[in-house]
Amino acid sequence: MTAVGVPAAARPAAAKRRQLQALARLLRLELRRNVMPLILPVAVGLFWFTSYRKAMAMPPLWGLRAASIQTGAVAAFVCPVTGAAAWMGSREARRRTIDLVTITARPQWARQLATWAATASWAIAGWLVCATVVYGVTDQQAAWGGPLWWPVAVVAASLVAMSALGFAAGALVPSRFTAPVVAIAAFFVLALATQPIEGSHSYWQISPLVSTAWDIGPDPSLGTFYPYLPDLAIAQLMFLAGFTVAVLAGLALANGSAGTWARRAAAVVTTAGLLAAGTAVALAGTAHLDGDMIAIPALHDAANDRPLHYTPVCSRTAVPVCLNPAFTIYLPAVAAALAPVLKEVAGLPGAPTRISQVAASYQQVTGNDVSVGLPGPDMSGTVFPLVLPDQVPAPAMTPSEVAAAVRGSAGLAILGVVINDGRGATGAQRAVAAALRMAVGLPEALPSVVGRQLVTLPLPAGVQAAARRFAALSASARHGWLAQHLTALRAGRVPLAQLP
Amino acid sequence: MTVRLLRLHAVSRRVPTAMAAILACAVGLRIALIGHWDSYGALQLPLVFEAGAAGAIAVATASPIGEPERVTGRWLPFLRLASVLALTAVAASAISTGGTGGQLAGGTLAAVRNVAGITGIGLLCAVAFGGGLAWAGPAGYLVVGVFGLYTQWHHPALTTPWIWPDRPPHDLGAAMCAALVFVLGITAITLRGARDRLGE
Repeated sequence: MTAVGVPAAARPAAAKRRQLQALARLLRLELRRNVMPLILPVAVGLFWFTSYRKAMAMPPLWGLRAASIQTGAVAAFVCPVTGAAAWMGSREARRRTIDLVTITARPQWARQLATWAATASWAIAGWLVCATVVYGVTDQQAAWGGPLWWPVAVVAASLVAMSALGFAAGALVPSRFTAPVVAIAAFFVLALATQPIEGSHSYWQISPLVSTAWDIGPDPSLGTFYPYLPDLAIAQLMFLAGFTVAVLAGLALANGSAGTWARRAAAVVTTAGLLAAGTAVALAGTAHLDGDMIAIPALHDAANDRPLHYTPVCSRTAVPVCLNPAFTIYLPAVAAALAPVLKEVAGLPGAPTRISQVAASYQQVTGNDVSVGLPGPDMSGTVFPLVLPDQVPAPAMTPSEVAAAVRGSAGLAILGVVINDGRGATGAQRAVAAALRMAVGLPEALPSVVGRQLVTLPLPAGVQAAARRFAALSASARHGWLAQHLTALRAGRVPLAQLP
Repeated sequence: MTVRLLRLHAVSRRVPTAMAAILACAVGLRIALIGHWDSYGALQLPLVFEAGAAGAIAVATASPIGEPERVTGRWLPFLRLASVLALTAVAASAISTGGTGGQLAGGTLAAVRNVAGITGIGLLCAVAFGGGLAWAGPAGYLVVGVFGLYTQWHHPALTTPWIWPDRPPHDLGAAMCAALVFVLGITAITLRGARDRLGE
């Protein structure tokens, strides 16, 4: 009777639709009966306390904040998510309903997957709310660039993996003590697994806590001069996906969880997951420092080695100070800080006609040491390359702190380059450079390395007297003398006694 | 009679399992201290095991009996007090002993302070959310404590005594905060018990 009334092709389609509807209803039930929404406020609170406030205190640079919240979010979510998932995994045993649900139509493994999926979905929803807030605020504040999605994806994959781990632990060892033990053990393993990281080729970088070169940490240059390298994030995603698949498929291997064929398939999937995770760890071990990020040759896209195109923002001064647009907030302060120095040397032969921000150069030295410096010579033509102090690994600075540091570093360097006051400088060169430093409010004498210490030695008496005499001249007199004699002074042909 | 009551109460709260978990934390700490840790790790390490022990104590407040026990047992508050005090004493001494001979950051004083304070948080969570989920308090505070220690290197440092794990062991304010939380927790759990649903 039914065979006549129903077209043959419609039957499997209808059955499939009913199956999907049943699955969706099961997932909806699990979403409603889940403990994760109760625990999520703890995770969100921890994220706010440990990551959000820290990220908001940083300059509004996408790369910096994105890398920072990856580490913070993983650390904040690990305990609540793993513990809540373990609690959900042990639910049937805790409530003594195993016998009751064993006779239902679905195998144990399928039921468990639905519970786990609901738990992981809540965790991801919580994380996406946090990420949306951070990115939303950053979008309002940032002058250039856009959101980076790799860190968001790594955190989401971490939450999926953590929930799988906790769920499996709860299902296999259903005790009220499983949740706290797994939550704290997961934190212990995750946080302290960063201890053995040494250099940029450590296998331990696979930890999702690591968002960039561990020795450098998130720095403001990330994704500003060169693209954000996704190599490490791809390896981490591969590891987390493999781990999750292995753990969930491993659940089906338990006796009575699924039929024979399903268990055989689960064994294959578990092996594949473990292989993927192992491969990701091996790939992390081949990494090296590339700029301020981690590159993995097998996952590296050569297109990411090309510098990003941007139109610099420049100050409207005689000697323009030009910064990457991501650093726009620093421009007024930096231009004002360099103005007295640039005024002293403007128009002189060999003086810079433009100050242009460049990317810092990073090089792995030994162990966990990284050297940071200029990528090229002190001066390229008449363009002076500027590395902001905030670009190097250091606590985030306010624009006024950056400006003060720029004056003390780039200001000194500009005077040194123009006067040729370096190692082996003549007395006259040292005196003129010291005079100009005094004129712009910088220290008369410079610190130098003696033994292993940085000490500031006073200038020799003759040099000091000449410097003070030259500094006492009017700005126009100094500038006029320099315009006439700078070429000879730079060549070392002006004796100290000839200084006015 | 009293001994039997105590034993039955302890068994119903899984106190022996909690004891085993606490001892496992102490042994874990002892083993971990054998390894070489940098300054970060050395400071954070004890806190992880202290939070683990406190979590076990908090979870051991969950009652499988619920309402019937509340209405019939007039000794219940005293039994709750006794079991929590005993477990806290075991945890403090086990963690301190676990650190003996190793480089236990903060020493015994800090370990006792941290265990007591974090246990207090766990007990308050047990009263508010139920014994089964009370671990969320100690586990969450672990993250706060580790972050507090992190800020000692990455300024601005958090100096509030409410984050007592990152205060020196002789810091009076931190000790008072931890003691206050412990007293509040133990008072609440004694008077009200864990807020548990039957069947969890």
